[in-house]
Amino acid sequence: MHELLLFASVPTHQHEELLQQLAGLTAMQPRHCLERRLIFKAYRKPGLANARVGASQDLQSGDLQRVNKMLNGGMFYTQVVGPVHTSDFADAGVTPDAPTSSNNDANANPSPADPDTKMDGMDESTAIPTSTYDFDQQSWNLEFRDIPEAGTRSAVTARVMASAALPRGDIVPSMNAWGYSFVTEYLVEGDMFVHNDIVIYLHRVLHYPNSPGEEREPRHQLPAFQQMSPLEKSGSYVLQASITVQDGSNQETMKTASQHLFGLREQLKSAVRLEMADRLSLDTRAK
Amino acid sequence: MADPFTLPLRPVVEKSDRPDTLPVEIAQINEQWGNFRNVNEEVLLSKLAEEEEYGGNVDSDENDDKKDMDTTERKEELYKKRAEITQFAMASHMETMFALDFVSLLLSKHAPRQAETSMSAFLKQVAPVGSLNSEVVHPPPKPESANKDIATVSRGWRIQNFNSAANKLLGAASRLEKEVEAETKYWNSVLAVKDQGWKISRLPRERQSLGVQYGFLEATPAFRDRGLASLRRANDGSLVLDQGLVPTGSRFVRVRMKRGSKVTGCTKAGTTSSDADSIEQRILQARDSVFEDELFHELVREARSMASFGVTTRQNLIQIPAADDLEILLDLVDANDDSLSIEEESSHHDSILADGVAHSMRILLSFAHRQNLHRRTQIPPPLTPKRRPNPEYHLLRPALAYLQHISQARYLESFIHDITGTLRSSGFQFPESTSKMFSNWKSSHQLSSANALESLVSSSLQPIESVFQGNLLMPNSSFTVRMKTNMSFPPFGSQYDVSFNLPSISDLKSPGNLNLREEVEAAIAHLLLLDVVMKVSSTPKDENEKASSTSSNNQDSKWWIPIYPHMGELLLTYNHPEKHKKMRITLSREQLSLETYLVRNIDGVSIGATEDRSLDSNTKIWKLQHSPDSPNQHSSAMAFAVAESSS
Repeated sequence: MHELLLFASVPTHQHEELLQQLAGLTAMQPRHCLERRLIFKAYRKPGLANARVGASQDLQSGDLQRVNKMLNGGMFYTQVVGPVHTSDFADAGVTPDAPTSSNNDANANPSPADPDTKMDGMDESTAIPTSTYDFDQQSWNLEFRDIPEAGTRSAVTARVMASAALPRGDIVPSMNAWGYSFVTEYLVEGDMFVHNDIVIYLHRVLHYPNSPGEEREPRHQLPAFQQMSPLEKSGSYVLQASITVQDGSNQETMKTASQHLFGLREQLKSAVRLEMADRLSLDTRAK
Repeated sequence: MADPFTLPLRPVVEKSDRPDTLPVEIAQINEQWGNFRNVNEEVLLSKLAEEEEYGGNVDSDENDDKKDMDTTERKEELYKKRAEITQFAMASHMETMFALDFVSLLLSKHAPRQAETSMSAFLKQVAPVGSLNSEVVHPPPKPESANKDIATVSRGWRIQNFNSAANKLLGAASRLEKEVEAETKYWNSVLAVKDQGWKISRLPRERQSLGVQYGFLEATPAFRDRGLASLRRANDGSLVLDQGLVPTGSRFVRVRMKRGSKVTGCTKAGTTSSDADSIEQRILQARDSVFEDELFHELVREARSMASFGVTTRQNLIQIPAADDLEILLDLVDANDDSLSIEEESSHHDSILADGVAHSMRILLSFAHRQNLHRRTQIPPPLTPKRRPNPEYHLLRPALAYLQHISQARYLESFIHDITGTLRSSGFQFPESTSKMFSNWKSSHQLSSANALESLVSSSLQPIESVFQGNLLMPNSSFTVRMKTNMSFPPFGSQYDVSFNLPSISDLKSPGNLNLREEVEAAIAHLLLLDVVMKVSSTPKDENEKASSTSSNNQDSKWWIPIYPHMGELLLTYNHPEKHKKMRITLSREQLSLETYLVRNIDGVSIGATEDRSLDSNTKIWKLQHSPDSPNQHSSAMAFAVAESSS
């Protein structure tokens, strides 16, 4: 499958207004989405021998060639997406580090400049069973995105995509078995609209309160939603208009799809400027 | 220059033999007379008169001249005149030159170089450049009276102009006032419409005018786009709903029930309000009309796909054979058409049925709209070259399924009632059977209120199920008929799942799914026959023991043995091989008959105490009795069996 995309940056002050405009355009109420996104990186397992061990070319069967190609092909980052609800987050009133932190300043922020309390607060998630979040029932979806196609004349970002449903619960063992290691995770918060074939997703990336890189595995508990901090400090949003095409080799449908996107761009011209993204900024290859 | 003399300066127009073509003539006329626009009758008449005058004179002159002038004289005259003309021309030229010189000289004071170019050489010689000057000379003061006159006249003019200006301003003011009034009225009514909750927006194609959205966003695009009409302002400021080319007037889908050739039920048009001219009413009416139009459109679409059910569509009529002799007619009619309100011989029941069908169609269309919204807001599937199919809505099929189901269920119910009644009238203590109509509807949905409505409607799209249950004569035996009617997806129609539990016949299998009600009837009748046979044959074990033991207490305790229970045949064995007696039981809806006869009966022994109509056989028939009381005037079937066995 192929995915065609256009992006626009939306400053915070325009967010409300744009939501209303999009609701009017698409004649639907925004669907609020919260998604956990886990980033996995492919790695070559040690000990996987290069299959070309002194055999002559004709002995290498087609299957073996294919396996070789898969094993030695490009490595990609891939993400695992799990939808969550607002109710899955911890109560806002309870600060995760309140029981453990000896500090008497009652600010709701788990102070990032205080790594010690965080370290011994590893059991903080178990200390607050206020949320109804059940990690073992969390559903996951594997989403693979290739680097956008280079050298396309058309002014849209086009890339190969694939997604697959994964089993519920702890996904890391399965991913490890497939040759992926967990890198980090973040949260995407946004509103989704559907305009004919186009999915319009107005979203922003939120970081967990702890500094990223601390965690070695996906969180089993979610902090209070208010403690999430936006990646972009100004709190601005990204407007993403995407359309998926079943058969990317069919020029006709690809053209139709990009024309739909251009039509949307024209309609939204007075509000936001939709444009294609920088190709290298969407590079998913693992170096 | 006393007498007028004309000289043809233009060449003489010769009349050519062939007439000029029209364009040439038009060009000619244009050249000669100027634009046609300036030519009117008056001008032409005056020209004509002038020409007449001239021509007359010329003619008369010529006539006169011809008489008294010969050619030489004419020539002389001609030369003389020519000389005269030349003279005039010369004189005028000279005068012009003088004037030019004068002006040049005058100007040479201020612009010597420019003026010099137009000066004649002679003047340059005689007069030095710039030797002439001009000055403004104040005229002598006019007399008082003239001044006064002028002042008066100008004052009069001014007053007149002021007056007309004032009139114009007043006119403009009053026009503006009227306009403001009209605009106020218009905007007030627009606001009133908006306050009632209608969506007011600019028209997409006509940015400067307002429109009101009354249609249904989820309707088929053709009808969705019709749901927008512009709000125009009449001259007096009243609001006009402009629906474009769409015919106004309210229409509705009429549902009629037809039994045989008689229309027995019909829906009425919706109530039309008294103030039908108010804008709200107009909008409501427009909305209803677009809904009804869409409804009929979708009905026709669905009806076409239902041709296999015998549904026929014409231009403006859908005929649906529902159940039994009932036929549903659907058409789109004008609500205000008085000719429709002819009272047919309508039955109350069918009118209610028609109303029910009409309501269900509308509810289902609204439901389909909601489903459309639901589908539209889902993440769309990937784009493919194939167009996504647009399936027909389920508007008629649920109603049709209901009608068929209820007809079939009633039939089955009455059949079971009748056949058990037949058994009861023959003295069997047959237990009451129970029927649960629409059993799958009655399982109440305890759902959240938001989805309760939709799940309620969607449950009506599911196959309808009714269950008939009853116990049989034999202990621990029962039967169940599960009837499902489904019009939405194949297999269409009613299906019966007949199952029973009859332990006394172990090798009996349930017939399973049946499709025809005749088959079901046969299955139930057969089942009950088996039950009766088993009942007859099993009786001695409990009651015949005490009944017959008192009477005879004979040694072999002979009793009926079911030899061919599926044929309803029982056998009474005797010691004597010639005297085997057989009983054959037949059961139908209306009657139960027991027939006994001797097998290989040759000696013609009279048997039985009751009517012996023939020598070797004895028959007893119990008919269905519709009055439940009066147990039976005859003896019961069991008594007959007992009597037969003991004879």
